[in-house]
Amino acid sequence: MTRREVLKQIYNVILGIGASSFFTFEDLLALENTNFEKPNLLWIQGASCSGCTLSMTDLEDIPFVDFILNFVNIIYHPNISLTNSEDINELLIKTKNKLKNNYMLVVEGSIPVKLPHACLFNDRPFVDWIIDLSKNSYVNIGVGTCAAFGGVTNMGGDFSNASSLMEVLDKNNIKTPLINLPNCPIKPEHFAYTILYYIKFKKFPPLDSFKRPKKFFSKSIHQTCIHYNEFKEDIFATKIGEPGCLLELGCQGPITKSDCMIRGHNGNTNNCIRAGHPCIGCASEHFPRQIMFRSYYDERVIKPLKEIYFEKK
Amino acid sequence: MSKKIVIDPLTRIEGHLKFSTTVQDSIITDAKCSAQLFRGIEKAMIGYDARTANQITQRICGTCNYAHAEAAALALEDAMKIKPNKNGYLLRNLITGAYQIHDYLFHFYLMSVFDFIDINSILSYKGDDTNLLKLKKWVEQEQKSDKIFPMTPFLQHFKSIYQKDKDLNFFSIKNYLEAYDIMLKLDKAVAIFGGKSPHPVTIEAGGVTTTPTVLMIQNYKLLIEEAENFVKNQYLPNIISISKKYKDYFKIGQGYTNYLSAPYFPDENGENKLFVGGFVSNFKYENINIAKIYEDIKYSYYKEDLTPIDYETFKKEQIKNNGKYSWSKAPRYDGKVVEVGPVARLITTYLSNKRPKINVFIDKINKELDIDFKDYNSVMGRHLSRAIISCIIIDKLKEDLKKVQPEVSAYEDYEVPANIKGIGLTEATRGPLLHTIETDNQGMIKDYNVISPTTWNISPRDEKKTPGAVEKMLIGTKIEDEKNPIELARIVRSTDPCMACSVH
Repeated sequence: MTRREVLKQIYNVILGIGASSFFTFEDLLALENTNFEKPNLLWIQGASCSGCTLSMTDLEDIPFVDFILNFVNIIYHPNISLTNSEDINELLIKTKNKLKNNYMLVVEGSIPVKLPHACLFNDRPFVDWIIDLSKNSYVNIGVGTCAAFGGVTNMGGDFSNASSLMEVLDKNNIKTPLINLPNCPIKPEHFAYTILYYIKFKKFPPLDSFKRPKKFFSKSIHQTCIHYNEFKEDIFATKIGEPGCLLELGCQGPITKSDCMIRGHNGNTNNCIRAGHPCIGCASEHFPRQIMFRSYYDERVIKPLKEIYFEKK
Repeated sequence: MSKKIVIDPLTRIEGHLKFSTTVQDSIITDAKCSAQLFRGIEKAMIGYDARTANQITQRICGTCNYAHAEAAALALEDAMKIKPNKNGYLLRNLITGAYQIHDYLFHFYLMSVFDFIDINSILSYKGDDTNLLKLKKWVEQEQKSDKIFPMTPFLQHFKSIYQKDKDLNFFSIKNYLEAYDIMLKLDKAVAIFGGKSPHPVTIEAGGVTTTPTVLMIQNYKLLIEEAENFVKNQYLPNIISISKKYKDYFKIGQGYTNYLSAPYFPDENGENKLFVGGFVSNFKYENINIAKIYEDIKYSYYKEDLTPIDYETFKKEQIKNNGKYSWSKAPRYDGKVVEVGPVARLITTYLSNKRPKINVFIDKINKELDIDFKDYNSVMGRHLSRAIISCIIIDKLKEDLKKVQPEVSAYEDYEVPANIKGIGLTEATRGPLLHTIETDNQGMIKDYNVISPTTWNISPRDEKKTPGAVEKMLIGTKIEDEKNPIELARIVRSTDPCMACSVH
């Protein structure tokens, strides 16, 4: 493949994510020729499952290798870098001091606060690393629902009081700009778009009150759903496989904002609702809810989690 | 004089792993593996609906999510005494099988291959492969740059003698670059029936919510054929050629010869699992008995009631001589430490003598490499097993795909009754995965327990002070250069530890 073809591909992804109004193919060629400065990227993992990293490798129109080698400068990534303990200490401290205000901090996973020893990185609580590193970066990016909202690491009976990146920054009065990219796992296009936008404009895309790019998170799954018309006409599926809106089977679409229905997953191969399953709300600040997928006839009145855990104590 | 070597964290594995070893006269005399992350997901699920389990537990792990979803569905099916229909079983196989191959490629190419081959050799590349030339240019630029950290992500910390055979280096680097594309395609294959990947949503108790269409089957077929081409013509030959160059690694990293594997990959009726599973001790085969599994927490950061210890107690344990040192529990089978994973899966299937085709395939490879079954208890044996399993699974996926009936639902609807108990056992990429569920009178989770593959491998010592499986592999290893203990990294990476699973 020639360089021009590669760039054409990249241009296609940018079109695909609906950014055509500010990137033209000529722009990209110019970008390539002007030797733009690659942003430094420091990727660290807290209470995470590496799912977001795996999802990132599925970045389609720009091959992932091309992205990490030619568009960003990866300082450290736990699953990709070959380094070990002595190096890592030195590396993180050097990054913090010598690259002050010159690196992006990407956080995957949540941050245990009440049990600091629940996540240790080089024998030091992860929360301390976050406080240290997030002060000197020029932007902090929370990737995935755990980093953005706590996700599955912050359920009712959680012992470690795992907090989102936003909570930790607020509590410690850290004013570095923050971007949240929820979805469990992250959609790689969201990340690539955010970085490319920065490369081009030297600023970040417009954000909503939860610090999510408006471009992807302004509409709910429900509003953009393939079954929305059926919902309007009161046609509801009573079981999986029936035509109709999946609301009565526990669909979380109305409370979940993301672009799954527009851009799909895995390069628009599929999405949950097209696969016959109600939305589980994995991009939502409420994820996971006490009852998600349920049967049509389910009329249980559920004790809120707070009460259950209050009784226990 | 003895010396300590501590690696914390080990990169290029899933999650947070620290290990500390004592070296005396270049030989490892003691080793401790510490899992450094705790989330407590299984107990936090109490009070959630039984049907949330397959979505929540699959988020324990980003690399074997499909297996947690399947185990949770199996546990509920066991409790409800139901079985999916034919399409249900087949689609589950198509989702989990494709994902397992993805996982094996991810482990070998992204995490392990640079333990053996030399990335710098690319500078002498003179061929015409565009990808390799691009990488060559990049390496040249990086080396010239005045960056603080040049060459990440390929920076090789351990100075060691890496592979000198240029053609093998080029072949491996080429495969490394192409593996990304194949993994992407395998993820698409998973998403066709799973909705998305990682974290497919459609696996539920009662089947898979997708109704397959002719188009889906066709698309899946195309993707799997590309993967097949890569696995059979690049991945397996690559591992075989690396094995030939590192013959000594068929003797390094030997563990206990106790293996445990769960039956996996059923036919369309949920029977006759392709990988037979079982327990093997000293190369003698037995059927698996779940009742013999228990967990020990003597050296794990938990109190008697299984709640985590607080920060103050933790600090005290750290300075104690024989204190607790890992978040991982120590599961044992009939009192024995066992190794799980690809080798266990192959050895149990081989020794059960129930799958002659698989035995013939393995024998052929053993002959080519001039090894026998005992050599699988090693670093190279583990890498080789993964490639062999990938080939076996690909063939099975193609067979199963032909049996899928288009336009027939793969899911049957059931109400989940209250007050039930169930057990789900399956084989994940890295070994046996056990889920147990118990619900209350409202159908909400009262108790949930997960014993995942890496917990077996990475387990700390137990009451009897018996070292865990990986600890045992490290003890006795000879280190050539104490400042660059590449042997340790190779051993630990060969077991493909998934720390997020191990503690959950």
